[in-house]
Amino acid sequence: MASLAAKGISKVFEDGFQALTDIDLVVEPGEFVTLLGPSGCGKTTLLKTLAGFYDATTGRIEIGGTDVTAAPPEKRDTAMCFQSYALFPHLTVAENIDFGPRQAGVPKAERRARLESLLRQVDLEAHRDKLPNRLSGGQQQRVALARALAMRPAVVLFDEPLSNLDAKLREQVRREIRALQKEIGFTAIYVTHDQSEALAMSDRVVVMQGGRIDQVGRPEEIYARPETAFVADFIGAANLVPFEDLGGGRVKTPLGELRAAVPPAGNASFICWRPEDVELVEAGAASENVIRGVVRDRAYQGAHTELHVATGDADLGLQRLHVAGAAPAEGAEVAFRLGADQIRFVRSALA
Amino acid sequence: MTLRRTLTIAALLTPGLGLILVMVGSVFYIAVAQSFGYYNLSGESAFSLDHWRDVLGSKQFGRSLGYSAYIAIISALGSIAIAYPLAIWMRKPFRGSLVVGSLLKAPLFVPGLVAAFLFLNVIAYHGVLNQFLIWTGLTDAPIRFQNDRNGFGVIFLQLWKNMPLALLLLTGAVQGISDEVVDAARDLGAGPLARFRKVIAPLTVQAMQAALIIIFIGAAGDFAFQVTAGPTNVQSMAQYMVFLKTSFGRWNQAAVVGVSLMGLALVGALGLAGLARLTLRGLKW
Repeated sequence: MASLAAKGISKVFEDGFQALTDIDLVVEPGEFVTLLGPSGCGKTTLLKTLAGFYDATTGRIEIGGTDVTAAPPEKRDTAMCFQSYALFPHLTVAENIDFGPRQAGVPKAERRARLESLLRQVDLEAHRDKLPNRLSGGQQQRVALARALAMRPAVVLFDEPLSNLDAKLREQVRREIRALQKEIGFTAIYVTHDQSEALAMSDRVVVMQGGRIDQVGRPEEIYARPETAFVADFIGAANLVPFEDLGGGRVKTPLGELRAAVPPAGNASFICWRPEDVELVEAGAASENVIRGVVRDRAYQGAHTELHVATGDADLGLQRLHVAGAAPAEGAEVAFRLGADQIRFVRSALA
Repeated sequence: MTLRRTLTIAALLTPGLGLILVMVGSVFYIAVAQSFGYYNLSGESAFSLDHWRDVLGSKQFGRSLGYSAYIAIISALGSIAIAYPLAIWMRKPFRGSLVVGSLLKAPLFVPGLVAAFLFLNVIAYHGVLNQFLIWTGLTDAPIRFQNDRNGFGVIFLQLWKNMPLALLLLTGAVQGISDEVVDAARDLGAGPLARFRKVIAPLTVQAMQAALIIIFIGAAGDFAFQVTAGPTNVQSMAQYMVFLKTSFGRWNQAAVVGVSLMGLALVGALGLAGLARLTLRGLKW
């Protein structure tokens, strides 16, 4: 278990494309940190730079306080779980898991102990002599995890390890990875573009966009207090509306005048609220922060119904509401109230 | 599978596979039969072991067999040894890789005899190489490189001609290994040699075996390179076979040499392929 620090990391590829810009990130020992962002945001590039597969153009990487910026992957105390599992197809499950320790010259007795322990932990004892192509996707993923853990690395790096699994299996393996991480206590950096995966697994989430870090925080913080319009929109669903500050927490918006519990910061340019933060009220209700509109579309989601509501300003687009229980029909006029403390202010982009 | 279906498949295969089997099989049959005294073009045709006894008892045959096996083994292993690093180097495209690849494969398009004559021009007593050596002062007088006793000239030509074939086969196989598998080995502490030994070679062993077999068989049966650039104190199997037929009209003995050459090709190719697999199994760890 060790800390990892990336200080001022930038990466410019040979064709001139800048994939990473001034990345600063510290991961504490035993912490599970997720790099989250859309395709092309630089999260896998950052992971591969931390692993040593890419050289950082500028910056410094430290693992356990040791500078490893110039060290090749085989000399770094990291182990990676690849998106495609990357198991050695000519080696059995046991041989795959034993590959790293054997390479590192770990004594035979110690290797055997690690192998038996890991096979038990990932529940693959019965499959130890099988080749990878005889295993299911979930089992292959568990072999990849065991192979990485067999190295007893300071940091385990996960590159979208669940993206090839179906939804049900993904949830199961996600729980298994997290349980193993808690049990063994390794430091983990996990890359995904699935925000629910990131929120469910992580101690902290790093939201990336355009090769930069937009926001770092605990899942609850990221969801409840997004700092930018991008983070608000990418993590869950969000309604974003431009505003004009009237002072004292009062803002003028295309939806009307609203009052927020906390006044906006100077660089904020949107108000943001989550679809589930609204409360439907009587159409004629006269109250603060009440917005009226017409239901244009509704989608039943099981636990709630998602409504798309057109308000007075056509250019603003539809507002998304999540309503539990009986929901109004399409074409119905609705009124909904926003709690003052549910209104957050976000910047348009990274300041 | 029903009998009817089996017969249908067999009937459909007949035009292609049947033709090949008849063509190859008839040649093989005649060679074998001739080696046992049948199809005698210069006497009575009857079963006889005399031709085998005469040929196997001659020193010249033993030397030819050993020499052909030597040339074939060195050529096959040498081609693989040169082609592997090149295939790994060209695994990922880079600026100019297409040109480099094309140049490396160019010898495939040059007929062997033409290559041998070009080679002679270079190594001849008054050839380019000797003139260069004298011009640089490395030697005072020309050196005789041509028809060297160890067959190095023939081996050079075999490597020049066959390495591109090995490269062609190995490049495809090496490129078929995913980047992530190689990266995983690296991530688990394997340096360049360990990555080759434990991952790349085992995953490309079938291409390696195919290259070894094809090159071994071609080199074992070489005639053109041998008569052009080979040593004069020993004959290759093919050269010896032609010698027996042309100089003495001993068709049956020539057939014995021909059948032996086929045997050498079969045993040698399978032996090399098997050795490659066994070696890699041993090197896996």
